Amino acid sequence: MHTQFFGNFLLNKGIITPEQLIEALKVQSSTHKKFGTLAIHSGYMSASEVADVYITQTHYDKRFGELAVELGYLTEEQVDKLLTIQLPNYMLLGQILVDHKILTHIELENLITEYKSEYEIYELDLMEEQKTMVDKLLAHLYLPEDLPDTQNIISYLTLLFNNLVRFIGEDFTPLNLMTLPEVPTNFCVSQVVDGAFSFLSALDMDHEAAIAFASRYVDEEFEEFDEYVSASMEDFLNLHNGLFSVNMSNDYTVELHLQPPEAHENTVLSTEAPSYLLPVIYSFGTINFIFSVTSE
Amino acid sequence: MENIKILICDDSVLARKQLKDIIKKCGYDNFIEASNGQEAFDLYKEHQPDLSFLDIVMPVKDGVEAIRDIRGFDSKAYIVVVSSVGTQTQLKNAILEGARDFVQKPFSSSAIAEILKGRFEGR
Repeated sequence: MHTQFFGNFLLNKGIITPEQLIEALKVQSSTHKKFGTLAIHSGYMSASEVADVYITQTHYDKRFGELAVELGYLTEEQVDKLLTIQLPNYMLLGQILVDHKILTHIELENLITEYKSEYEIYELDLMEEQKTMVDKLLAHLYLPEDLPDTQNIISYLTLLFNNLVRFIGEDFTPLNLMTLPEVPTNFCVSQVVDGAFSFLSALDMDHEAAIAFASRYVDEEFEEFDEYVSASMEDFLNLHNGLFSVNMSNDYTVELHLQPPEAHENTVLSTEAPSYLLPVIYSFGTINFIFSVTSE
Repeated sequence: MENIKILICDDSVLARKQLKDIIKKCGYDNFIEASNGQEAFDLYKEHQPDLSFLDIVMPVKDGVEAIRDIRGFDSKAYIVVVSSVGTQTQLKNAILEGARDFVQKPFSSSAIAEILKGRFEGR
């Protein structure tokens, strides 16, 4: 989990450009391993047990390790052990930047000291740290001042980051949230959620990024941009909004209803309320997450 | 098994493909496909399938309305609701309208196999 935060920290400081970060993430993603894969490699879980946890994760907003323990596949001790292997050291990103001569060793050392103190990183329990880190990322993410209903939006974005980690991969870096009157899109899927409050949510990316995104989500190699790729994006958005509505119902007894997702190509997303754009950089391309709170 | 007709209604082409792939592995491959509740109702009247899988949240006509229409036409219709996370209220309404069973997305092969067994075993 560290890489996203350290990458965002370096971008915000103007130390690296988004292009340099993408290059570094590309190198890093070749060493990326999912928790489930590690559990299989370690011999702690069978492939079908891992598949079962992934399916259960689509129904409950919980971390892999937590569910694996609940389902009796792993012990707490095994989770701890796997977490020490899973967490990519943010030093790895730093090392890549040094190798690429973007930073010197001394600059890296100073930046890490600064990063640690800013994010208050201590040698915490690793599982707890992962949760805390998502909260901290959000606390450090620039949120526009006009953002309505901030608490709900923070819950929504926290879930989004967790879902990206769970279903797409953790090799991403979010940029800062931007306020726009309207958003021109490339290939875009959108979904309206209404009820106690209403909002429009959308996922936008170019065809190449969409193919890679869908391949990771469905765990099947898509070669070209087709209806299955588009449907995978809709499915991810629907799943994310569905989990959010379950959380809102369970935690705050707020009832929300999902409208069917829609796909658009080269349109301009516009609502009467301002739209918020969150670009998320993956090694395979940038995905834009857009939302607009249409009624509070 | 060739005579057994199964209606699959979901606005997501991906969900239809995934469900068909699982059902095919169980030995059934005579499918009728619809992408919204209205199409499902029209195709139901035309083909009268032995088993229907209906998504809940769909454009034009949602799953709950489609179940009402289909059950109004054929009170013995065997309908299984396909639900996504976050559609609990609609799922309850679908059961009240007469859905016989439900299955959650993403599909688990064993849950689908159980449904097919429950419907067709001993015919």
